[in-house]
Amino acid sequence: MRLRRTDPHTLAGAYALDALSEEDRERFERHLGVCESCRAEAASLRDAAGRLAEATAAAPPPRLRGLVLAEAARTRQQPPPVRVAERVRRSWHGVGWPAAPRLAVAIAGVGILVALALGTLLINDQHRLHMDEAQRSQIAAVLNAPDADIMTVSARTHGSATVVMSHADHALVLTTARLPALPATKCYQVWLMGPHRMKSAGRLPPPKQGMTPPMIVPGVAAGDEMGVTVEPVGGSPRPSSRPVVMLALPSA
Amino acid sequence: MTAELPGERSHAPSGGDLAALLAKVARGDEAAFAGVYDRFATVVYGLVRRVVRDPAQSEEVTQEVLLEVWRTASRFDPGQGSARSWLMMLAHRRAIDRVRSAQAAAAREARAAVAATDYDVVAEEVETRLDAQRVRRCLDTLTELQRESVTLAYYGGYTYREVAALLGVAVGTVKTRMRDGLIRLRDCLGTDS
Repeated sequence: MRLRRTDPHTLAGAYALDALSEEDRERFERHLGVCESCRAEAASLRDAAGRLAEATAAAPPPRLRGLVLAEAARTRQQPPPVRVAERVRRSWHGVGWPAAPRLAVAIAGVGILVALALGTLLINDQHRLHMDEAQRSQIAAVLNAPDADIMTVSARTHGSATVVMSHADHALVLTTARLPALPATKCYQVWLMGPHRMKSAGRLPPPKQGMTPPMIVPGVAAGDEMGVTVEPVGGSPRPSSRPVVMLALPSA
Repeated sequence: MTAELPGERSHAPSGGDLAALLAKVARGDEAAFAGVYDRFATVVYGLVRRVVRDPAQSEEVTQEVLLEVWRTASRFDPGQGSARSWLMMLAHRRAIDRVRSAQAAAAREARAAVAATDYDVVAEEVETRLDAQRVRRCLDTLTELQRESVTLAYYGGYTYREVAALLGVAVGTVKTRMRDGLIRLRDCLGTDS
């Protein structure tokens, strides 16, 4: 990952000093997502920058204390994102969902919190390295969509698939965990199956440590189901085998 | 800790204490929040005042920062850095947002003149404080360009492009000086404490 015309590493100081424009900052933060050593450096420089505040300490007017404490007492606090992340992670690994005879589907209407939590899970991992900028921003848009729905479904064979879908964006983001490994001659292919059409969404990216990187599937229409089938490695024009994953997508 | 000695280091308690307080604040503990206020309002207000300058606006921003701590304490992630660093980031960003959004070009230029010279004044104001002395001493180990780049950005609230314009040097140079300046500052503060 790189910043346009810029070596991102040199921005760590300006970032820690909040001296980046919003655009630069967003770009640098995307870079932080894929660069662990950069995150460590940014944190240590941020820490050093924060120490500069020690040189400017000044007591606020005494009345401020009462104002702040009173305001806090009547202000609702935000819930922690952690619980959401744990729920997602649990479903992700197939723990905690009943192993139903038919495909078990858990659907949670989610707001931005869940989408963000999932986004953090997805985007903080090393898979991002293999994704181009356009894909990443499409994925981020879906994960951050206010109307995002998150669904986890067990695969017929083994493993599971997690989908975050935005109706407004007509798109979904798909990841899978622990699907059975395939011989080199085969691949997993993703489909959108509507009442009147069968549309290939392309091949599932190869897994890393059992999980496939987030894949964007655009062009989702009302009434579509999403399926994953095993196909010859070049892909097929139509599904040639029984889906290992099948998920009815919720209507808006 | 030196919490029993108010006035000596009470404006700069350790991040560990703050992390413990934040965990309580996240659970709605108003007494813990008062504890955060008592220990950090001085350093938050001082920084905001340094960046924003106008006392009335500085009070508003300080209030916003502390309420943000109250509202979002549950979002503090120790994996991303120290609690103290998180708090100072909230404060600095709020202050920066205030000056960047409210700023007419003329006001900006006027502020530039002040910001460029104010570092000495600020340092003098607080010279009696141990922490401030240490920061000052470490700032002195920076080259002039490193120091100006760092302090104009942090205290002045300028972007690196603006700092480059103010100092009349290349943008790339400023970026680099900000980074190696902070690295030097970090290493100095780390080995000095």
